[in-house]
Amino acid sequence: MSHGLSVFKSDGSLGFSTADVTWQTVAQFTVAANATVSNTYSEAAGMTVIAQRQLVNVPPSAQEDYAPNVVVSNNSQTITVSPQSGLSSSQCIIHVLAQDA
Amino acid sequence: MAYGFEAKNDSGKVIINDTIENLHFIGKATRGSNNSNYGDFPGYGGSNDTLDGRVLHTYTITCTGTPVAFIKPADYARWHSIIKQSVSSTTWTFEVMISGTSTSNPPEIYCFVNADDVPSTSDTHGMIVYKSNGSTKTFDSRRQPLAITGGGTAAAPPSDPTNSSGLPGNSSGHSWNYSSNDHDFRSSNRYTAHSDSSANTSTAMFACSSLAQGVYKRQQHGHKASCRFSCFGWCCGGYQDHYSTAAWWVMYRQAFRLRSGNFDSGWTGYAAGYSFSSVAEDGGWFGGGGGSWSSGSMPYAAKTINLQSNAYILADSSRYD
Repeated sequence: MSHGLSVFKSDGSLGFSTADVTWQTVAQFTVAANATVSNTYSEAAGMTVIAQRQLVNVPPSAQEDYAPNVVVSNNSQTITVSPQSGLSSSQCIIHVLAQDA
Repeated sequence: MAYGFEAKNDSGKVIINDTIENLHFIGKATRGSNNSNYGDFPGYGGSNDTLDGRVLHTYTITCTGTPVAFIKPADYARWHSIIKQSVSSTTWTFEVMISGTSTSNPPEIYCFVNADDVPSTSDTHGMIVYKSNGSTKTFDSRRQPLAITGGGTAAAPPSDPTNSSGLPGNSSGHSWNYSSNDHDFRSSNRYTAHSDSSANTSTAMFACSSLAQGVYKRQQHGHKASCRFSCFGWCCGGYQDHYSTAAWWVMYRQAFRLRSGNFDSGWTGYAAGYSFSSVAEDGGWFGGGGGSWSSGSMPYAAKTINLQSNAYILADSSRYD
């Protein structure tokens, strides 16, 4: 490479460089069943933000398990997690990931 | 920025800075028990008995922070998903579902956590970036940072999880005790494809949560009216009714598949059942005896839920081996 940054491992092999692409992690949090949570992360302003939902405790053969909705707003700074309209929601892990837009 | 650290990649996008943490590889989760089932309908042996089957593998990893888990298939032809992730103290448990009934070729689960929660290491080489507080790490090259190869938005799978089109629903007018399934409940052909040049069937791994769920049911009602007492060829003693109901159901969970150039969002059956009930009205003095019998049960109503898109990320597992 003629310019940029390369970070090598102790064995001399390349570990990470400016040729790479990544998602950075803004936050992880768990939302309780039926709860509405809204968190703001100013450091994510203007970035491309995704929020992955992972259901925590699924009892698939016993009941319906509704995932909550996630809305990214406020110039990508605010993550709002809430039950689907008119439905209960299950406990859910939220991973908020960001990428330079 | 007035001070601190920021590195942009060859596309001019920030990939390291002193405000947002990078994800770092902490290891592969340890595989424990497995459970294989539903290659066909339990208790039924007639037509359209075959199902896709599924294997549940349990994995654990101990770490602070909440891991982002990637699935690296061993058999790329099969459908995979993490259907459950829970924690007890600092031990995380993943329940991973795979299509088919073979317990061989289980996938590997690669786990990443935020920089400040990576385990300590005695390695003295590398680069660490801290936040302005001087103590919270945002990057630590001693633990391999996550580099992605692709990804995007994975659409929900088709609302109908079954290879036979349409809701199987109910039908009546069958003969008493009729029980012959006419619906193909397999879901091997039901998926939404996403073109992604980084998808391959050698080293690619993915992170995407399973959200969609569905229950589909086929039900058949049978009936027979028997004459209680016959007078010279015609029924003079009234009729004795017999009723039967046969039902097949499958509970599905969203699952994913990597193909060369494609990431597929589809379905795999998680549980299944067959139930049968038959009732015969008492025939009175001259008719046959009444009674009823049944087997099996369905856990809840037929419907499909959580048909929502979800972000997916692809990465190259060979960087972390």
